Amino acid sequence: MANIISRACVLIAALISLSLLGSLALVATVAEADNAALLEKKLDQLRVQARKNKGIIDMDSNTFEEVMAKPRDFPIVVLFTAISPEFQCVPCKNFDPEYRLVASGSIKKKADSQLFFGILDFKRGQATFQKFGMNSAPSALYFPATESIGSVPQFDRYDFGKYGFQAEEFANWLSARSGVHLSVRRPFDVLAFVLKLLFVLLSGTACYALYARAGKVVRSKYLWAGICLFTIFIMISGHMWNQIRRPPYSMPGQGFVAAGFQNQFGIESQLVAVMYAVLCGAVISLISSVTRIEDAPKQRISVWVWMLIFGFMYSILLQTFRLKNPGYPFRLLF
Amino acid sequence: MSTEASSTIARVLKPTILALIAIVAISSRLFSIIRFESVIHEFDPWFNYRTTQHLVKNGFYDFWNWFDEKSWYPLGRVVGGTVYPGIMVTSAIIHNVLHYFNFPVDIRNVCVFLAPMFSGLTSFSAYLLTKELKDSSAGLLAAAFLGVAPGYISRSVAGSYDNEGIAIFLLVFTFYLWIKAVKTGSAFFALWTALFYFYMVSAWGGYVFITNLVPLHAFALLLMGRFSNRLYVSYSTFYAVGTLLSMQIPFVGFQPTRTSEHMAALGVFGLLQLYAFAELIRGYVTPKQFKTLVKTGISAVAAIAVIGLTVLSYSGVIAPFTGRFYSLYDTGYAKIHIPIIASVSEHQPTAWTSFFFDLQMLIFLFPAGVYLCFRELKDEHVFVILYSVFASYFAGVMVRLMLTLTPIVCVAAAIAYSTLLDTYLERADHVLASNLKGPLTRSDETPAASGVTESKPKKSSGKSAAKAQELEAKAAASKGAVGYLSGERKRVPILNWDSRMMVIVQLTWFLFMFAWHCTYVTSGSYSSPSIVLASRQQDGSQMIIDDFREAYYWLRKNTHQDAKVMSWWDYGYQMAGMANVTTLVDNNTWNNTHIATVGKAMASSEEVAYDVLRRHDVDYVLVLFGGVIGYSGDDINKFLWMIRIAEGVYPTEVKESNFFTPRGEYKVDHEASSTMKNSIMYKMSYYRFAELYGGNAVDHVRGVRMPSEGPTLSVLEEAYTSEQWLARIYKVKNLDILGRDLKDATSFEKGRARKTSVIKRK
Repeated sequence: MANIISRACVLIAALISLSLLGSLALVATVAEADNAALLEKKLDQLRVQARKNKGIIDMDSNTFEEVMAKPRDFPIVVLFTAISPEFQCVPCKNFDPEYRLVASGSIKKKADSQLFFGILDFKRGQATFQKFGMNSAPSALYFPATESIGSVPQFDRYDFGKYGFQAEEFANWLSARSGVHLSVRRPFDVLAFVLKLLFVLLSGTACYALYARAGKVVRSKYLWAGICLFTIFIMISGHMWNQIRRPPYSMPGQGFVAAGFQNQFGIESQLVAVMYAVLCGAVISLISSVTRIEDAPKQRISVWVWMLIFGFMYSILLQTFRLKNPGYPFRLLF
Repeated sequence: MSTEASSTIARVLKPTILALIAIVAISSRLFSIIRFESVIHEFDPWFNYRTTQHLVKNGFYDFWNWFDEKSWYPLGRVVGGTVYPGIMVTSAIIHNVLHYFNFPVDIRNVCVFLAPMFSGLTSFSAYLLTKELKDSSAGLLAAAFLGVAPGYISRSVAGSYDNEGIAIFLLVFTFYLWIKAVKTGSAFFALWTALFYFYMVSAWGGYVFITNLVPLHAFALLLMGRFSNRLYVSYSTFYAVGTLLSMQIPFVGFQPTRTSEHMAALGVFGLLQLYAFAELIRGYVTPKQFKTLVKTGISAVAAIAVIGLTVLSYSGVIAPFTGRFYSLYDTGYAKIHIPIIASVSEHQPTAWTSFFFDLQMLIFLFPAGVYLCFRELKDEHVFVILYSVFASYFAGVMVRLMLTLTPIVCVAAAIAYSTLLDTYLERADHVLASNLKGPLTRSDETPAASGVTESKPKKSSGKSAAKAQELEAKAAASKGAVGYLSGERKRVPILNWDSRMMVIVQLTWFLFMFAWHCTYVTSGSYSSPSIVLASRQQDGSQMIIDDFREAYYWLRKNTHQDAKVMSWWDYGYQMAGMANVTTLVDNNTWNNTHIATVGKAMASSEEVAYDVLRRHDVDYVLVLFGGVIGYSGDDINKFLWMIRIAEGVYPTEVKESNFFTPRGEYKVDHEASSTMKNSIMYKMSYYRFAELYGGNAVDHVRGVRMPSEGPTLSVLEEAYTSEQWLARIYKVKNLDILGRDLKDATSFEKGRARKTSVIKRK
């Protein structure tokens, strides 16, 4: 009796989902008994495999087709990857342990809320790669439980560019889609901890030794002036923008200056920092080093040279700015 | 000219110059008023204006307890507890004082002119601050720089009625008072620092900058071994009074005792007490005992601090770092976790062009000024150095924080510039005299080649003048003439008049260029009110585009009293202020889920959206469409952000990838994806757009030809479209009186037969 009710439920669910999707495909009403048995068997197999292999189901093209075959009322994630060294896929290698971490956390779940984690390597599943038109790895696809018929099942693709390679992000993404709460528990890395501790201790000792031996250098205001000015130059020439936006260092054929007011190349901001440093150096020299020269002709030459450098550099700076902002009306020497 | 006469002239000149600087600062912020009219700008100012109106009309206590049911429908917003009331109270006081003296000034004009007026005060406080660091001539330069620097003007033009308008004055003035307090060690000045800190807390969230910079300064001085009773008195007074006062603002509340942003201040306060206590003990015990005491004391305090902090953060008594805080330090954080922060252009990092655009030549004089501070390195110079380094980092991370960098850039650049002027204008005999003030035996070392004589600066001098020069120098020294910059090393004056001319003429020219640059930037980039647009027609005449106000006024006059209007959050404040309607979301962005719901409605098909609209009692929907006149800030261009924010909350219902073409492009023409074409945002934007051009419509923003057949609408109907099609208002239809699906009803009215498939399904 319960069996009939559950089967009826499945049917109703299928009907509702169909009508929601608006597809007007025919509803198959064949041999549900066979289906249910098949499903049970498939699930059992998958569970055994997952338990054996820390939550991971290794697949090739054939097993993938089997798992994906029509009666599938459970969701599954498949990682399409190319882990073999000959493909030199660095992101695949980076993501692999993270993926396994998420998978291993999922075995402890109860049967009814289980999510399966498959891995399909390019070496063993070229046919499937072709079927999905995939020309880059890794990609993680989430296949929700479905009854619909189609050669390519519906899926959701995990966006590495947007969410990154972290296990936590991936788990969140999956939880949001499957409704199964996945938590990531990273194993405690003793080696890393010891290394960190050693590093802290060593650097502490080094600092102390440096302070004791070379206290004069550490306390020298010129050292600190250098550090501060360097930081300021780096910051006011848009280094943080580079840090956040990660532009190309330079673009062959486009010169050093990127087009567009709110855009820049890595080298461009460094050049600007150098210009600022030269200009600032000219000002400082005009103030302090010139007033130490006691010989009048030498002093004259020094003032003229620094002032020429100043004017010249400022003109270059203005010219660079005009490249970025063509409407800018001011210029100096050229 | 004698010293007395010049000092009398200086006494007259300084106030005159300061007054002129204030006038320049104020008048260069009036471009928008002259070009357009006295109107409140942009988005946030409209909220401030609305609350100020409420405050003036209903009094302070009503304002304090105000629950605004017209925003964030159906949630509402506790306004009194979620605003920084400083700016509203300031303008209300000005308004009331003026009215007391029978000047019937409208509150709108008070609000519009508040920021320019305060900019005058800001330049004055820059003068005071720089005077403490160098001298009054540098102070005057700093005042002039800060008065016209575009980095500050960008947030303080007339009509830009925002917190920053008064906050920058408070920031600079609080720092001036702090410097004064550290220099004198007077509790009086420290108390004033605390009072102005309180004013700052009440005015702007950026007060955290002061909360961290002042303790940092104290801590740095401590590390440099410069602990003094002056520092102890000023910091303790400032911290105790300032923190207690800041907790009186409901929006801040108990944050100073809980959040990590305020912990540095507390820690330094504790450290100073311990240090002072240790200094006290030192006088009563033997050095050996003292050493043991200090060692045990330090380890005990460190252990307690570490354990206490861990326990408190784990138990949740101390709040974890807030999102805003994270986005400052970990720059990748905001991009991934908080799309709403990433979507606001003010939170973007700063490219080098922005620095140059906002500060021009000051940007490279600024490090030179910092270097000069290192040369002197008194307590107050340490402050300038710390401020410079941290503010330049923050300004690099977030465009908006250019505002906190600008004051210190102006101050440091003024120090550098005025030192340059001093060096090249100072009379040779003064320099020599200042050297002579040291060991007199050095006088024989004065250079043989002579410089400029006092009375005839242009006379090229020969060696014969050397003796006269030396005599003069001695005479000046005996008279007690004082030179600047008493460095340890002997200084040589600038010996040739042509070197002097060369430098002075060029520097003056740079100043001219700076002034032109500032005016150019202010007039061209920072003076647009953004609710009224201006464009040039082909014949060169100006065309004013006033669609926003037109649409808001239509809403005000044609909708019933509590109509609910849905729009993207950018326009919430403006709608509440100008149209006086109830809005769902606004620029306060405190509830991400609610914003995501609006985003979901905009991004879904008509059926799904209708459900959301009905549930939120929405009567009208407003969208901005720039396709007709080429206004690029319209809703279709913002649409991706709506989708992203909605996806963050409703990942199963809204998917960003569905809005792209298979090749991953964001398209609106015939190649657009079907999800895109079915979203009500797309439909509302392009509804009847093709008809306007007889089927040959071109979207002027995206620059694409649109399909000749536009989208159809069944659950919404067009209510109003402004003159340039910039604002489009749609009315949400009621349920059909015959109980039909609205889609069916629409097609029935158009005379089409119902689709047979629909009947079958039922």
